[in-house]
Amino acid sequence: MRRFLSLLWLSLLSFFTFSAPVSATDSDYHEQLNLRPLPLSSLLASFNFRSNTTLSEFEKGNFRFFPRSLAQILQHAGTRELHLRFSLGRWDAETWGARPWNGAREGGTGVELWAWLEADTNEEADHKWLTLTNALSGLFCASLNFIDGTRTTRPVMSFQPEGDHSAVDNMQLLYGVLPHEVVCTENLTPFLKLLPCKGKAGIATLLDGHKLFDSSWQSMAIDIRPICPAGGECVLQIEQTIDMVLDIDRSKRPRGNPIPRPPPSEQLPCDASKPYNSHDTCFPVDHTNQEWTLSQIFGKTVKGTCPLADEAVPPVCLQVHHSRSVFVSKDVHEKKNPDGLSRCFHISPETDMELMLPRPDDAEAASSSTSIIAAETPLLYAERSFTGHGQERGGVQTILRNPSPDTEVEFIYMESLPWFMRIYLHTMEARIASQQPHTNASSSASSYSSLIEQVYYRPALDRARGTQLEVRMRVPPASTVFLTYDFEKSILRYTEYPPDANRGFDVAAAVITILDPTTQGQEAGGKELAAAYTLRTTSLLCSLPTPDFSMPYNVIIFTSTAIALAFGGMFNILVRRFVAADEGPEAGLKVLIAKLKARVKGVKG
Amino acid sequence: MDGAKVTPGKTAGLYAGAAVLRLAIFTLLPALPDLLTGRVEISTPVTSFKRLQEGLFLYNHNVSPYDGGVYHQAPLFLPLFSLLPSFSSLPIFTYLLYIAVDLLSASALWKIADSGEAGSSALFTSPRREKRWSGFVIAAAFLFNPFTIATCIGRSTSVFTTCAILHAIAKAVSGAPFGAMIALSFASYLSMYPLLLLPPLVLLAYDRQRPSRATKSALQFGAVCATTVAGVVAVLFQVSYLLTGSWEFLPSTYGVQLTLSDLAPNAGLWWYFFIEMFDSFRSFFLAVFWLHLSSYVGGLTVRIRRQPLVVLTLLLGIFAIFKPYPSISDSALFLALVPLYRHVVPLMRYTFVSAAVILYATCLGPAFYHLWIYAGSGNANFFYAITLVWNLGQSLLVCDLMFAVLRDEWEVERPEMVGKEIRQI
Repeated sequence: MRRFLSLLWLSLLSFFTFSAPVSATDSDYHEQLNLRPLPLSSLLASFNFRSNTTLSEFEKGNFRFFPRSLAQILQHAGTRELHLRFSLGRWDAETWGARPWNGAREGGTGVELWAWLEADTNEEADHKWLTLTNALSGLFCASLNFIDGTRTTRPVMSFQPEGDHSAVDNMQLLYGVLPHEVVCTENLTPFLKLLPCKGKAGIATLLDGHKLFDSSWQSMAIDIRPICPAGGECVLQIEQTIDMVLDIDRSKRPRGNPIPRPPPSEQLPCDASKPYNSHDTCFPVDHTNQEWTLSQIFGKTVKGTCPLADEAVPPVCLQVHHSRSVFVSKDVHEKKNPDGLSRCFHISPETDMELMLPRPDDAEAASSSTSIIAAETPLLYAERSFTGHGQERGGVQTILRNPSPDTEVEFIYMESLPWFMRIYLHTMEARIASQQPHTNASSSASSYSSLIEQVYYRPALDRARGTQLEVRMRVPPASTVFLTYDFEKSILRYTEYPPDANRGFDVAAAVITILDPTTQGQEAGGKELAAAYTLRTTSLLCSLPTPDFSMPYNVIIFTSTAIALAFGGMFNILVRRFVAADEGPEAGLKVLIAKLKARVKGVKG
Repeated sequence: MDGAKVTPGKTAGLYAGAAVLRLAIFTLLPALPDLLTGRVEISTPVTSFKRLQEGLFLYNHNVSPYDGGVYHQAPLFLPLFSLLPSFSSLPIFTYLLYIAVDLLSASALWKIADSGEAGSSALFTSPRREKRWSGFVIAAAFLFNPFTIATCIGRSTSVFTTCAILHAIAKAVSGAPFGAMIALSFASYLSMYPLLLLPPLVLLAYDRQRPSRATKSALQFGAVCATTVAGVVAVLFQVSYLLTGSWEFLPSTYGVQLTLSDLAPNAGLWWYFFIEMFDSFRSFFLAVFWLHLSSYVGGLTVRIRRQPLVVLTLLLGIFAIFKPYPSISDSALFLALVPLYRHVVPLMRYTFVSAAVILYATCLGPAFYHLWIYAGSGNANFFYAITLVWNLGQSLLVCDLMFAVLRDEWEVERPEMVGKEIRQI
């Protein structure tokens, strides 16, 4: 019987791997861990947890897999679709290639939140947004309540709803970002609490704050969206995703002795194929092909499966070539996928799963390109940095590189900047790197107009609203475009600076949404621009001029004295009478002395 | 009158020299205009040329420039600069406009100097009035003052206010009260604070009316002048409303000066005070500072009633110290009018001290700002301290001039006291 069932699973498996989104609406809870070795001894681990509830059950308040705490917040704040991101680190696209999920499940450094709220007016939306951010702040132990008017924008082009919405008219999109927020283990605990197995069983047992927040890059995402399959009942789907890139060397360090020390020279893995002039020199071999096990990397093994999860979906998948051997503990069934690049593992409910990826054999190591699946080239590389020096003004420069030799990339570049960065839009310029900048005015103008297609700009208002800049532009094939603009740093009131004022102020990552070229032809009136790929630049640290925080009293006293001197001096001259030096009544010290003398005489007499 | 005779050739030479000097700086040192535009001593948030360009860019792209924190200047600048050929392609037209405005200011100053109002007004004639400089010298002192040149090269929009104020005074002196009021309305529309000059300007215009159409009643005259100013300002507001389509320019241009929401460093006393001010006292001190600024108007106008031009000069000096966003262009305007009082210079007591302090602050101000913002080896107190010195130096000059003028008046009553030691009780 058991064997028959496993056969059934295997037959279902291929179905699920190819049409996961459709089947997602049929069953209630899925979880899956995808492991992909990356170049330079890194490992990408993508955890994905997905559950549904029908909209009618949701309205009635019957929750099975959908977390009740979150659902009540959504109902209270009238939220139709919600996306929440906690991220840390930088995705190294040059080495690691394209982002997981095409960038759709990641955020910029810090916390990002965007939601479609049910509201007829802007005031109603703002009110609901306030409710939502404050409630989520309590639920996730994050400072989401600091997403106020200055950090909230209403993107026009960048984000599109992922779910199926019947009435789009009364929905408002609000987007808030907290680049300064430090994501840490207090955010992970509530995240795991939302899962049906609460991180006690299944792949979620691998998630440990020590390892997750020690990774080179990590992004925790929560996406809630309504999905209406054709002919079926609409469901509300919650998808929780954690992507992390682990440094294998770093993760393998024992917990009791985490300080890295160089191994003795005789243990160094030397590249024997290189010629050496003496026996004590060594060229270290590429660490790409390290062997690792799950327990070494995550500090523990997978504790069985979550009994609530759909058993048809394999909980762990590994993306390596079929030629490589993988060792797993017994009672774990391996299934190689027909694409030749990945394999999945079924675990029986009570088994602890251990997985080991050994170093490839010598023959294979020679052709190291086959040991790791080649990274997919992303559609666009983006880098953003500050230019200029000093604390008065500066510039922002974004370098956008299109690696494709023949395809043009069209995308929307969105910045949401704090109000104290006063940007000068008239200085915004896009130019192709090969061109000489400022050769003459007309050529830069023409490159501007040809690269930038559309600009949406909402300037900042002091202490009330941040800058929102959305630029729809394109990068021609195999070229690099520099997008630059100037800004001025304003000086704040001394109470507006944080305690560590000289550290600087974080500026949120720019969001780049690459448009799907296949849907561009169909779009009419600038609506429904499907995103093919999303990426975010790193966040920036902007240092503002600071006053002296130690002497408010001194400044108040000095300035008041200067004013009093001028005021007193002028009105003194204005109101007093002129007399010759020897005229008029005696005054001042002489009179006082005379009085004193008289008194002394009186006492003596 | 008794000024040195100036040939038309000399006049043209002066203007041409000033224009050529400015044009040469613009063309031969192309990096200098942008450098000066970025200096906090020249460009304040309400006069900066870079902010004007941003406002213009937004205006030309149908974004309201007042729905943002960058542009705080009067709406009429927008169509004026849109009519000029684009600054990025043909900057020469903008340069020529700024040079022309400077020359216009100089010609108004020349008129004021030639009228002899500084030495002998309608109610008072100074015994020392013979000792004076001609209009040529005074205009040259204005045109070749480094502060004026720096303001022009930095393309600060305060030059338009300067020009309007000088023309208002020149019109009042030459017996054209209506023109004076229109010019003052423009100045007030552009920068708001010149409205405080209304009482002395009305008195000046009243004193210098042409006998043929003189109004006898001072009250009636004042009412007509005030109504004229109110009417012209209302028309300007209406035009601005039609241009921008909303009234939001009012809080964005004048509200910023009233509430000092932009705390960019400048040569004045307000910015650091309100950075360090406790939040609960902010509005109180804003009110106190504005009240303080306007308190001088009444006192000076009443006390120096006989010489309204002196009141205007002293007030301009006080504004250069105490207004919310002062720059060196305000000092340049005050220093342009001071040479009119050549005859009272011997009565001044601290000319050397105030000149030395002003020079000292001029040299050290940019250095200290650099230490704070760029080198990082000094903190904000460096620049704050130098602005304190600068403003104390200027207030010393204003006080001294006030003292000299009052003593000059007093010596008419007591001619025997000339050259004697005196005191005030």
